[in-house]
Amino acid sequence: MGSNTTEAHPIIANRMKKAVKAGLKIIVIDPRKIDMVKVAHRHLQINVGSDIALINAFIRVILKEGLYNPEFIKKFTVDFDRLTKQVEPYTPEYAATITGLKAEDIVATAREYASSSGSMIAYTLGITEHHCGVNNVFDIANLALLTGNIGKQGTGIMPLRGQNNVQGAGDMGCLPNQLTGAMSLANNDFRARFEKEWNVELNPNAGDTQTRTFDRLEMGELKALYVIGENPLLADVHMNHTRTLLEKLDLLIVQDIFLTETAKMADVVLPARSWGEVDGTYTNTDRRIQRVRKAVDAHPDTKEDWEILCELSTIMGYPMRYTNSEEIWDEIRKLAWEMYGGISYERLEKEYSIHYPCPDESHPGTLILHERFHQQETAVSKSSFVPVDYTEPLELPDAEYPFTLTTGRRYESYNTHTQTRHYAAGVKVKQTEETVDIHPDDAMKLGITNGEVVQVRSRRGELEVKVKVTEQVVPGLVFMSFHWSETPTNVLTLNEFDPISGTAEYKACAVAISRI
Amino acid sequence: MGETNLVKTICGYCGTGCGLVLEVEDNKIMKIRGDKEAPVNKGQTCVKGAFAYEYVHAKNRLTTPLIRKAGKLVESTWDEAYQLIANKLTEIKTTWGSNAISMFACARNTNESNFVTQKFMRAVLNSNNIDGCNRT
Repeated sequence: MGSNTTEAHPIIANRMKKAVKAGLKIIVIDPRKIDMVKVAHRHLQINVGSDIALINAFIRVILKEGLYNPEFIKKFTVDFDRLTKQVEPYTPEYAATITGLKAEDIVATAREYASSSGSMIAYTLGITEHHCGVNNVFDIANLALLTGNIGKQGTGIMPLRGQNNVQGAGDMGCLPNQLTGAMSLANNDFRARFEKEWNVELNPNAGDTQTRTFDRLEMGELKALYVIGENPLLADVHMNHTRTLLEKLDLLIVQDIFLTETAKMADVVLPARSWGEVDGTYTNTDRRIQRVRKAVDAHPDTKEDWEILCELSTIMGYPMRYTNSEEIWDEIRKLAWEMYGGISYERLEKEYSIHYPCPDESHPGTLILHERFHQQETAVSKSSFVPVDYTEPLELPDAEYPFTLTTGRRYESYNTHTQTRHYAAGVKVKQTEETVDIHPDDAMKLGITNGEVVQVRSRRGELEVKVKVTEQVVPGLVFMSFHWSETPTNVLTLNEFDPISGTAEYKACAVAISRI
Repeated sequence: MGETNLVKTICGYCGTGCGLVLEVEDNKIMKIRGDKEAPVNKGQTCVKGAFAYEYVHAKNRLTTPLIRKAGKLVESTWDEAYQLIANKLTEIKTTWGSNAISMFACARNTNESNFVTQKFMRAVLNSNNIDGCNRT
């Protein structure tokens, strides 16, 4: 669901395709005819943002046809009655009107998901980058719990993570509400553990998300922002607004390997070291800790990120000193021993990768989470269903802005493209500039042809971009990525956010397209 | 020509975590192939993992700290940059409180650098205003 796996996670896509040859059935749920459709058993080409209508209809079919797992639900869940009540209006026919699908395809998919020996849902930003992203995820969890598709091989929910270490960064405590090892900041015992080791008193109140940071910047409450290896000016929604906000800061520090668009606005820029120049570990999408090794010597006037922060910290009166990354890792193992205690550099050298949680050296690591669902007679703690309702995208197309723009990634490029501009010599890159991908029917109506430069505008901004005529999109829907700073797609996108996660609605806004 | 060193590492792009073998010569990455021993990819790579590594050696890499003087970013020493940051952060913390400072951490960085990043925010600045690009 909402994962263009072939382009964004090519190696995972290869494994999925290989599994198809061994009998796996893939059902693609995506508004675009993505490459994975070629090997799919079925493609549900839904309207952008209609996921909850679809999932609620799945749940209703499963309930009506008795395809759920009553024993599992009784033992391990609560609020089943609430779920039953909430999905009642979502008949396949009603969901069909919202999603644009056929009712019989919705019914068939629900039956297949519920009655197979094991079903897994893989998703990415197509699920989360909506004003209702968290509710989308809740509903996926409802579906998995209803059928007991969790905690054993070949089942579960698999969010495919976009950055090499986005899992690790959060796990390390680079989140406003949690300490290293995903320990809650609000928990007095956990906080005390860190206070003792670090010899400081910690602030017990959860901090600001990025979204909240921009809100407080707008209100004039934020004065300094320190950005490490990120290019929010180009990556965040409603770019013209982001620029105005960043200009309000008294101090913008950017630590990066390139002078990015964001770095150009900074008061201080610090030159960091890149992948290939540093040692350490990454945590991948399925919780494997793996060793990253230095391959080349960096420019002598650059420094590693942790080294910069240690030196700055020491100048500011809190001495922090480590001689290498292993010393830091050992502090992490000590503080968050429940997760990493058993994962030493020495073991990683021998075993290649270990899945956390791994509390001690004799522990093999945890390949599958939530196995408790199938091992215990009575549940220690029960999981609640969280029933949710469908809400339509916040900016729908109208007479003035008749197209829905949905954004995403392309195969050869990565995020704001600061790194993938630099391919090895001789590599032929197919897509070298941004395009607006549009259906042939729409192109014909507008009288535009493949390769022609058009103007795309939303209520927030406008840009010029080449047209790519393709049946990957349906009539009324256009697609763009945000890889090229020459075509900053995020001047168009909508600054509306999920109220819980703060994730922006990158996947849907209204635009108009015209000839120049 | 110097001798070729082989370095095993993990790809720095998406979250799949493919094992790579880097061929290094004269302090330059010459070639990358998938590591057959890697549990995730068993020798495979995608186009980014195998070929999009030249940025490491790009001529436009930042190689010195820069500070803004009279509206322009100019080269500075590490000491000067550190002192400026330390003074400004301390001043802002004293005047407005630690809640006036925020950090965006990096999801491409190692666990070790990310650990130190949040330790810096929490232990030095007493602020939990730290987040990554998890939401974008």
